[in-house]
Amino acid sequence: MKKIFFGLSLFAAFSVSSCIQDEPSNSECDIEQARVESPDLDILFFNPNDAVKDVPSSKTSIVFYVREDFTDSTLLETLPLRFKITPGATITPANGSPQNFRDREVTYTVTSEDKIWNRTYRVRFIHTIPLKTDLGFENFLPEKHNRFNEWFEVSEAGNAINQWATGNPGFAISKSSATPEEYPTIPWTENTVQGNAVKLETRNTGSFGVMVNMRIAAGNLFIGTFDVANALKDPMVATRFGLPFNKKPLRFEGYYKFRPGEKFQNRKGTIIEGRVDEPDLYAVLYKNTDENGQPVTLKGDDVLTHPNIVALARVPNPVHDFDNWTFFNLDFDYQQPFDRTVADTYGYNLAVVFTSSIEGASFEGAVGSTLLIDEVRVICEE
Amino acid sequence: MKLRQYITALILTISLAPLHAQLIKERMQDNRENREANYAKWGPTSDRDGMGFVVRAGYVLGGTSPMPLPAEIRKINEFSPKGGFSLGVDGYKYFSTRWGVSAGLRFFMQGMHTGADVKNYSMAIVMGEDVVKGRFTGTDITDTRMTGFTIPLTATYRIGARWTFNLGPYLSYWIYRDFNGEVFNGYLRENSPTGQKIEIGADNPASYDFSDDMRHVSWGMEFCADYRIRKHFNVFGLLDWGMNDVFKRDFETITFSLFPLYATIGMAYYY
Repeated sequence: MKKIFFGLSLFAAFSVSSCIQDEPSNSECDIEQARVESPDLDILFFNPNDAVKDVPSSKTSIVFYVREDFTDSTLLETLPLRFKITPGATITPANGSPQNFRDREVTYTVTSEDKIWNRTYRVRFIHTIPLKTDLGFENFLPEKHNRFNEWFEVSEAGNAINQWATGNPGFAISKSSATPEEYPTIPWTENTVQGNAVKLETRNTGSFGVMVNMRIAAGNLFIGTFDVANALKDPMVATRFGLPFNKKPLRFEGYYKFRPGEKFQNRKGTIIEGRVDEPDLYAVLYKNTDENGQPVTLKGDDVLTHPNIVALARVPNPVHDFDNWTFFNLDFDYQQPFDRTVADTYGYNLAVVFTSSIEGASFEGAVGSTLLIDEVRVICEE
Repeated sequence: MKLRQYITALILTISLAPLHAQLIKERMQDNRENREANYAKWGPTSDRDGMGFVVRAGYVLGGTSPMPLPAEIRKINEFSPKGGFSLGVDGYKYFSTRWGVSAGLRFFMQGMHTGADVKNYSMAIVMGEDVVKGRFTGTDITDTRMTGFTIPLTATYRIGARWTFNLGPYLSYWIYRDFNGEVFNGYLRENSPTGQKIEIGADNPASYDFSDDMRHVSWGMEFCADYRIRKHFNVFGLLDWGMNDVFKRDFETITFSLFPLYATIGMAYYY
């Protein structure tokens, strides 16, 4: 008997000790952060924070926005960039080496530590392009995998301004089987006010959504960025509202149609009898740095409450009418004085936000709630 | 003087040698008789009547594991066998005092629970028709269970009166099989290490279920050691080492093969 156990324990010891191998080399090859190393940062940028770019894992294009009044392009001819890359990875051209960014983009290739994988990044410097405030939702294109559409505006010079974000990339994770028309935020062409409109519809996220306790996805469209990396872990911080803005907004106007979904459900999926879903439409102006000069971005949990908010225009008591377009025209309510000098250096962020379920960020709402929006304008002081 | 001593010793040795040989022979004879008696006492002895049945009942312990552990697995945080009982019967037939064959049918329950830290681990989160595939770095917890029947076909060697070893192939059929788990505390790179990063927090783990991707039929090698503690009564330990991947051939989500390696300890009654 003892011998049997001895034999078995020998065997167990053998199988356990055959275990852990040496750690494999990293396969990742990301630029996690890019930083401009120059003594002339104040000539290049309005704000030293603009010299540092955190690069989302989904992006391979890095754009530094230089001051509108920046003219000395020779500065861009020998500009060193310092990258934070995946440990063990290598980058060419060399990290920190001066490169010529004048009127051209520079391509960097990062190779993983295990030498199997690589990613190519394009880095360029362009003048800050002011956000568009006449918002017709005319321009959209499928994203690179053709899963859903992305909206953009076009500058007077004909350049795309990627000021719009949606939660569609998050929905893509939970419903890989969805067709482009089944996404929460889609283009809309029927009976629009003018050209194209946008349809935001609260969608069911299916069994995957149930598993991660995010049963619905409200349709949303906002000025800002969507941090898809956090879409599952901390969705409230995934919606990063607002982009730098240099004007004083006065009025917020546009058209919408809304129809609530039939059954309002809470985060656990329980139907709340008698509760009717509401949309949300608002515009926020806020200071984009804190008292220490650190960057501030408002997110899902503080976009309407943060102390940095300067002005707010929010559609009160939205009309539930899906047959006719409802026009809204609101004055911005200034909670703090507007500082022209802050605006001139793009020290404010403007966010324009639409969602088909007002509590959508908490995954509460009614599947089927639908908000159409068209011809929105933020009217600013000239 | 010296020479005389040598000669005396030599003569003595030579004259005593036949006696010595005789003694050895007798002792060997005794041994053989003893052994025969011993074998007879503990079980079947001759190739004519050396057959019968062994009924085995035992408890199964073990795990389903890649062999060797791939480099993607960085640390085993927890492991516990989730075995169950095993019940079966073997028929045996001896051709000589020591050698024979054995075949049987055995019901078993196997399983385990394990947790590991992984790096760049190829996986997919499957929910109906919705799939997220990629490379996960973080913590993984896996549970697996199999219930079914095994048919072992082994050669039997009796190493002594009380010890018997069996070695040979087996074929298993899993009636029920389950392989599921969850990942958390890390991130998934969609599709490849260059894909978009999706953080997966501890609050919202992502679970997977590959049960339907498991095989029904598995084969491997079985080794069994029996020790007779009383007449008709054995304790035994046996090891089933799977030689094919627990997953079907077209299953590619886990890039390495997993093999079942389960031991059974128990008691047997033999006729």
